[in-house]
Amino acid sequence: MSKKRLCIIGNGMGTCRLLDEFVARGGNELYEITVFGEEQGGAYNRIQLSNVLAGADPDEIVTKTPEWYDQHGIRLLAKTRVKKLDTLRKTIETEDGQLRRYDLAVLATGSQPLVPPLEGLLAEDGELRKGAYVYRTIADCMRIREHCRPGDSAVVVGGGLLGLEAAKVLADRGLHVTVVHVSPILMNTQLDGIAGEMLARRIEQAGIFLRLAKSVEAVYGEECIEGVFLDDGSTLPADMIVLACGVRPRIDVAKASGLPINKGIVVNDTLATQIPGVYAFGECAEHQGKTYGIVTPVWEQAAVLADVLCGKKPGSRYRGSKLYTRLKVADVDVASMGCLEPELESDQIFQIVEERKSCYRKLIVRDGRLIGAMLVGNTLATASLLQLFDRDDLLPEDPLEVLCAVRTLKGGEDRTVCNCHKVTEKALIAAIEGGAETVDSLCSATKAGSGCGSCKADLRQLITRIRKPPVILEVAS
Amino acid sequence: MTLRSDANNPAQLSVAGDVDFPVNRGQMCIKGFTSGSLLHSPARLTRPLLRAANGKLSAVEWNTAFDFIADKLRTLAAQYGNDALGVFGSGALSNEKAYLLSKFSRVVLKTANIDYNGRYCMSSAAAGQNRAFGIDRGLPFPVADLAQTKTLMLWGSNCAETMPPLMQWISEQKENGGTLIVVDPRATDTARAAALHLQLTPGTDLALANGLLHLALEEKLVDWDYISARTEGFDEVRRTVLTSHPAFVERITGVPIEHQLRAVRLLANPESSMVLSGRGSEQQSKGTDTVLALINLMLALGKVGKPNSGYGCLTGQGNGQGGREHGQKADQLPGYRLIENPQHRAQMAAFWGIDPAALPGKGKSAYELLDALGPAGGIRALLVFGSNVAVASPHASNIVNKLQALDLLVVCDAFENETSADAHVVLPVAQWAEEEGTMTNLEGRVILRQQARNPPPGVKTDVEVLCQIAARLGYGDAFAFEGARDAFEEFRRATSGAPADYSGITYQRIIDNQGIFWPCPNEAHPGTPRLFAERFAHPSGKARFHAVRHRPAAELPDSDYPLYFTTGRYKEHYNSGAQTRLVPALNDAKPEPLLQLNPHLAARLNVTEGGALIVHSRRGSVRFNATLSHDIRQDTLFAPFHWGGKQAANILTSPALDPLSRMPEFKVCAVRAERVTSLSSSNPSSSNPSN
Repeated sequence: MSKKRLCIIGNGMGTCRLLDEFVARGGNELYEITVFGEEQGGAYNRIQLSNVLAGADPDEIVTKTPEWYDQHGIRLLAKTRVKKLDTLRKTIETEDGQLRRYDLAVLATGSQPLVPPLEGLLAEDGELRKGAYVYRTIADCMRIREHCRPGDSAVVVGGGLLGLEAAKVLADRGLHVTVVHVSPILMNTQLDGIAGEMLARRIEQAGIFLRLAKSVEAVYGEECIEGVFLDDGSTLPADMIVLACGVRPRIDVAKASGLPINKGIVVNDTLATQIPGVYAFGECAEHQGKTYGIVTPVWEQAAVLADVLCGKKPGSRYRGSKLYTRLKVADVDVASMGCLEPELESDQIFQIVEERKSCYRKLIVRDGRLIGAMLVGNTLATASLLQLFDRDDLLPEDPLEVLCAVRTLKGGEDRTVCNCHKVTEKALIAAIEGGAETVDSLCSATKAGSGCGSCKADLRQLITRIRKPPVILEVAS
Repeated sequence: MTLRSDANNPAQLSVAGDVDFPVNRGQMCIKGFTSGSLLHSPARLTRPLLRAANGKLSAVEWNTAFDFIADKLRTLAAQYGNDALGVFGSGALSNEKAYLLSKFSRVVLKTANIDYNGRYCMSSAAAGQNRAFGIDRGLPFPVADLAQTKTLMLWGSNCAETMPPLMQWISEQKENGGTLIVVDPRATDTARAAALHLQLTPGTDLALANGLLHLALEEKLVDWDYISARTEGFDEVRRTVLTSHPAFVERITGVPIEHQLRAVRLLANPESSMVLSGRGSEQQSKGTDTVLALINLMLALGKVGKPNSGYGCLTGQGNGQGGREHGQKADQLPGYRLIENPQHRAQMAAFWGIDPAALPGKGKSAYELLDALGPAGGIRALLVFGSNVAVASPHASNIVNKLQALDLLVVCDAFENETSADAHVVLPVAQWAEEEGTMTNLEGRVILRQQARNPPPGVKTDVEVLCQIAARLGYGDAFAFEGARDAFEEFRRATSGAPADYSGITYQRIIDNQGIFWPCPNEAHPGTPRLFAERFAHPSGKARFHAVRHRPAAELPDSDYPLYFTTGRYKEHYNSGAQTRLVPALNDAKPEPLLQLNPHLAARLNVTEGGALIVHSRRGSVRFNATLSHDIRQDTLFAPFHWGGKQAANILTSPALDPLSRMPEFKVCAVRAERVTSLSSSNPSSSNPSN
């Protein structure tokens, strides 16, 4: 029997993970896999795009080279744009007019940046004008890198995660950077008012200017962009603008193929669409009314899809993902999970505001369980909180205990120092205070250290800690 | 060390360390200095036992026992084939015995089915090191180097309890200004000594190791010159870890990003750094890949082969190192030769004077071998040397059932134990001080254990036992050894030209030099204390990177079994506890296994210190008394595995195996815990309304 033909449309982070999951399950032996990618080359890690924007060689973030596909018997059609699927005849039509047969198709077309309808933004050909950029691909980064020069000024439209990341890199490259954000709260999808305020202060300390609760109304300039008009009537001259006002699912191929679409391509718990033989996952897919724009849910979907299609765990189901964002923006650690505000009267809120340090920690608790948490500046407790959140585990009676995530490992005085002879720290301290100020005398006084001897270093430390400081007889000149 | 007997009371034996010995400098652990009491233990076996018609074990003459065993082996082999005979060895046996067991199985019994308890111990580290370096020696440097390294990372080792004499080097390292990092789900005594403790979720070591390499790349800490000069295969590893973003790693492992960063910056110390792994990271169904990830990290940082730097594994059992080199492992032949390598097969066949085609192939790994005992699996006879498999194996109740299904179970031991309870024959053999033999310690240093006294009357050595059975099966000439020293002479010649070459080592040279490090290919060779300074053991001379990915443990907590369960050790006990439970000083200190749990979890389960709990896994249930401690994560229960019967922690553990090393997943399984209620404890103050 010949292998089934599996065609994957899109070669982003989702596909990259799906292929790994397939290889781990032997799925590349089961199917003849073809991947259609729009961009040049293999797959890369979009999360590290800021490295490329900052000047890194794009190869540094490439996760799969074209050779990888060859080695695993997977056909990669790079720089190939799919136009539509004929789900009746099971063919895929690419933009160059070619038709290819498939048995199974997986749409992993991802998402695309939102381009706001600003006056003057587009050139006559409908493309962005010179000086205006989106921030989504390696090619975008290379265009921005080519354009910007020291002494330039930039306006970043959007104070979300991507906008702030781009702003930081551009500021580091020596540009004068202003972030224009429509909400009064930075990263308002992830943060509440106080958190946004703390973050804003720290961003400003990093040398980035903020215009909050403002929006860009129009773009001006001749050949190239020269500045923007804001809705408060002010003007910001700018050599470039970077659009980071969010993304939306890419559903053009699905639409052209007649697949059921809402916000995204509608899939069930097996990531299948209503059309037999067609699956979708990642940022282009809509599951239970939700689309996701972060990578973890996409990876969770990839694992389920591989389980289902490789036949190893056909009962595997995707049940939705918990929302979680963790990043470092402009050297500020930020973490946000679950809901931002209490939803019920009975929900409890815990907030710790460290005004002077611009640190903020907030927990939202329902029935003893964490339903939301937000940390800015001090994120050490994130790991513990997140695991409690992920598993719906009960919090300690006083949930604030979790925020003191890092316990000191110092034992009390009842700690046993010498396990061989069961000598406690308390007994040792008493002996030291009683004059046993050397390891040997302490050994004979308490028997500690006369067994395996492994606690001798502890005894030495204890003596140093307890005995009175020696009188300094001479000070070296 | 030295054994002394009290002038007035010869039965009172004391053990003293040798302060000049370079490995422990005279320090011993509590198990060491109480070990003398075992030599005179009243529980000591001194006569062979044979199961009589009434089902009871009763004393017989040695010849009766040997004849019975030989007859039975011959009949079973004739009826079911040679592979129906199994042999199970131990990392506690001397090199000579490991070699003889290998020869006995392959030449006399002609069975493929020999394996040993080191499979439960060292196999993941061994598989990882062989792949990466082309050779497997626990530490590629003497332990004294630990004291000189700037950053020491102990990954999944609680050596403060499991190997206390090692702590002197770690204390010295601290005094020298070095930093200690410990990776462990529990805040152990070892973790308390550390400047940085990464308290990770059980079973996520691989994710953390990959995450540290990701950070090393991001922080530009990798040593590109070293990578290009001394390694191959980095590009694929680099691309693989690109997606091990610290935020994902934090989510999986529970280790804060801040700590990940601190750890990798410390490890990148320009002068020196070391990672040493223990069973915590290795006893997982992805143990080999985890070891490879740790090696990847240290190779990328340019540390392996540099002074006071690199990767090493803390070998557990007394002869954990030598035990894994000389062919008591299903896929190996003496000298760390591989049974599936035609050249290696030809060498050993020629040495033993047999046709290479007659040399059996690769047999089953420890758990698989034990699981195949009885009519269903096809292995009808098992000879056990120095191991208590009924306690030490995962899913222990299954193994006990399988042992009971054998036609012949022979146990050679100094004491009765949970395994011998089901034996047809129990042979009383000599203990450590009663015979000589070589051991190879965690550094690869071959040392000599000298005979201090004669075994009690009626007791034979393992060497005698093997020779007697071999002779009865027609191989008297091949097993005409007068003792260990005689066997060593054949053994060292057998390793000539092999990866673990001992051929230049003699008993006298060991005594004169306080041990000799292998490889030592001729008697003029000084031995090899440090490996990798110039080259690695692969033909190219380069170390190999291996792209490995995190994958979840075979069993994760779910709504039915919502907690992690992990196992480990007490300072007072050794492996299955068969011997240490007989030492009063040890047993008084730790008379029972306690279940360690976090007070928050205890409050939810409504138990207090000392209260009784029943822990259930998919394989069985065990009742423990609780000990409450903030040292353990809230999602994890811990119990030591030194006890058998109803207290066996291994009743709960998972037999999921690592695909490469066949190491069982002792360190992670999913369990449910409940307080023993008034009903089950017949407490009269029951609140149950039906009462």
